[in-house]
Amino acid sequence: MNAIVGKFESVVNAKAASVCFHCGQSIKGDLVEEKVGSQLQAFCCTGCSAATLWINEAGLSDYYDLRTEQAPQANADNVDLAAWDHPDTLAKHARICNQDNSYHEMIISVKGMHCAACAWLIDRALSKQKGVGEISVNAVTGRLHLRWQQDVSPLSTLVTCLQRLGYRAFLTRGSELEQSRSKEKKQLLLRIGLAALVAMQTMMFAEALYLDTSNAMPTETRDMFRWLCFITATPVVFFSGMPFIRGMLNELRQKTFGMDFLAASSILLAYFGSLYQTVIGGQHVWYDAAVMFVLFLLVARFLEYRTKQIAYEQSDALARAQPYLANVIREDKQMAIPVDQLKLEDILCINPGESVAADGALLSDAAAFDESLLTGEARPVLKNQGDFVFAGSIGSLQSARLRVTKVGRDTELSQLLFRVESAQLKKSGVVHYAETIARYFVLGILLITALVFLYWQQFDSTRAFEISLAVLVVSCPCALALALPAAFASAQSALAKIGVLSFNNDGLVNLAKVDTFIFDKTGTLTQGKMTRVDEHYYVEDSAYALAIACALEKSSLHPLASAFTEASSLPVKNALVIPAMGIQGDIHGRQYRIGRADFACHKTDDGRLWLGDGEQAWASFSIQDTVRSDAKETVTTLLREGLQVHIASGDAQCKVATLANTLGIANFSARQSPEQKQAYLKNLQSQHHIVAMVGDGINDALVLASADISIAMGAGAAIAQRSADMLICGERLDRIVQARNIAIKTQKIIRQNLQWALLYNAVSIPVTAMGLIHPGFAALGMVSSSLLVSINALRVRNVQVSP
Amino acid sequence: MNALFVLIPVSIVFLLIAIGIFIWAIRSNQFENLESAALDILTSEKNELGSKPKPSDAD
Repeated sequence: MNAIVGKFESVVNAKAASVCFHCGQSIKGDLVEEKVGSQLQAFCCTGCSAATLWINEAGLSDYYDLRTEQAPQANADNVDLAAWDHPDTLAKHARICNQDNSYHEMIISVKGMHCAACAWLIDRALSKQKGVGEISVNAVTGRLHLRWQQDVSPLSTLVTCLQRLGYRAFLTRGSELEQSRSKEKKQLLLRIGLAALVAMQTMMFAEALYLDTSNAMPTETRDMFRWLCFITATPVVFFSGMPFIRGMLNELRQKTFGMDFLAASSILLAYFGSLYQTVIGGQHVWYDAAVMFVLFLLVARFLEYRTKQIAYEQSDALARAQPYLANVIREDKQMAIPVDQLKLEDILCINPGESVAADGALLSDAAAFDESLLTGEARPVLKNQGDFVFAGSIGSLQSARLRVTKVGRDTELSQLLFRVESAQLKKSGVVHYAETIARYFVLGILLITALVFLYWQQFDSTRAFEISLAVLVVSCPCALALALPAAFASAQSALAKIGVLSFNNDGLVNLAKVDTFIFDKTGTLTQGKMTRVDEHYYVEDSAYALAIACALEKSSLHPLASAFTEASSLPVKNALVIPAMGIQGDIHGRQYRIGRADFACHKTDDGRLWLGDGEQAWASFSIQDTVRSDAKETVTTLLREGLQVHIASGDAQCKVATLANTLGIANFSARQSPEQKQAYLKNLQSQHHIVAMVGDGINDALVLASADISIAMGAGAAIAQRSADMLICGERLDRIVQARNIAIKTQKIIRQNLQWALLYNAVSIPVTAMGLIHPGFAALGMVSSSLLVSINALRVRNVQVSP
Repeated sequence: MNALFVLIPVSIVFLLIAIGIFIWAIRSNQFENLESAALDILTSEKNELGSKPKPSDAD
């Protein structure tokens, strides 16, 4: 590349230009140079250089030292943000602050935050603005909690500040949902904190009782300690343990016995059993077992809750899939209005890069739209006047006007969403086996206890209660109740560490059993980015030809242009984009064309990209979507482990075939609509395969929702992520293999835990029922069994993963 | 023995204080953002030297 560039004096020095100082992307087109501190740095665009200058001026240059990931590319384009100040926006998404009513409060979803340094930068940058109160930024969930004075500094200026730094702000789905989430989290934290603090105190008091091995303690002192334990255990059981008790009541109302029944019944049994012993001055109390159990279960539940919450927030779908505001022309004026106020026959303006808010008929002569989210087709589709354009597609090349024909629930996108949601509902009852086991177990134990009681009643009625209580306590299904949540929580955190977020445990269970993988092509196996794979030059000076091509493509927003990233500063005059044909422009007084063969050099169109002067061919390029670097390895590993791998893509036959060939995949199908993909999957399922689907686009959402386990790529469409069981955050396909290993390991550990719990009970129950075990030792046995299960669950994290 | 009648109430008072602090911490959003706080210490020195936000350079 440097050789080409060096040939032309006019081309800016591109030595340092390989990557942008701010965003770290390779620089295409002209580079921008700016003095940062004492050094001259190169930037890919004025947006990035402005962002860096601004960061420096604001005294925030520490950001560049602190960050661990590159910044998002800043955008210099002026986007009209007036809509953020729209009273309607504020009414719906912000609320007046409780403490000081001159402040508004709002949660904004920010895209482009990669690491804690981003959060730090946003925090500092916004707090420098006038009228900004409290800010909290969470890089993990991508949430910005903002408190500001609208009349001092309108929301739009704050959002402008974010955009200038390269972040994109989105409205969240609604403040109430966010508020209730945060409240729920605080409540759970409070329960855990209280349980931990008070449980320690309870155990301290219980310790005194345990240490009295020779029964030397006066009865009054013993009873005092027992009542102290009772007082401290009570809030733990009834406040911290409330979720389990409430869950048990729900289960009872539905006449089932599930996990919550198990957990709550063991907590309550230990508690009330101890209370009874305290009152009658019996042999033993187990308050410490009750509180410890509450604490263990709560921690397992919190870990699970947290991972899930992060997963949901990161993929908060609707805010990003559908634009909230649309530009319409009413009374000859262009204005931004909320999408739900769009009416039929409105005139909608779509600028390049904006997504379409409603279905409509094209009014402009011709325009191209990127429908990749809907159809999977990577290249923009050309639409002529009168053609229908669908909501969710993205304007490309030039701005266009539409006459709105369908709004809201009627749009194709909403219909697709609706189908996805109903498919999700149908995907029911996958993993309930633990609950089934639990149900039989609880019933069995109750039955056994009753029998033991009756038996002892006849032989030695004085010991009947003590022994049946010991049976209940020793069998206390804690180990069983903990076996799954502990393993799942541990697996969730192991997955989160490699950037895989799991939305539900069913997916985790199924992933271990999968025997068939279906991959989408664009954006999943490939990066969705264009590169040149094959180029031919028909003139001597190939470098000059390439420079022309780059210069021409620079004036286009077409996705193909991203294949021409070399810096070139040849001046292009009269550049004109001719949709579906190519681009033409004058360089040094001569007209050049790049595009289809018939347009560029009077040859027959062969799917390649040609450069010519209208008559003679100068060069031809073959442009392909780059295959992800780890795709081959991932597919090979999966195949080696005896799994079937399929490709189902919406793209053209020849492209899918080429890719399948490269990756060694025998089964593929091309030109698939979402429904066809679903049928393809259903067909495999009907042959008793357990199928995993990996996809990224809106067109994959339906098939993702129907798969046994669905994995969405993080960079893909929000709707795809919403219908998936798992989300891969980074751009790494090999995470699938690792996630599968973790799932298999989890499965193994769950099985071990269940086996242990059953074995323990099989041994301990008969022994206790014979009256050989003291209830005190029964409680000890139960607690150590629970501990063993919890510790075993931690081993899930030992699965070897590459960094 | 008499020591117990002093020490137990004292331990309970400490417990209540700890619970009180924990509740305050939750109420005042101390657990909301655990990531960027770790970076503050790395930059605190510079902030004191001059780039600390003053009302005058707010715009």
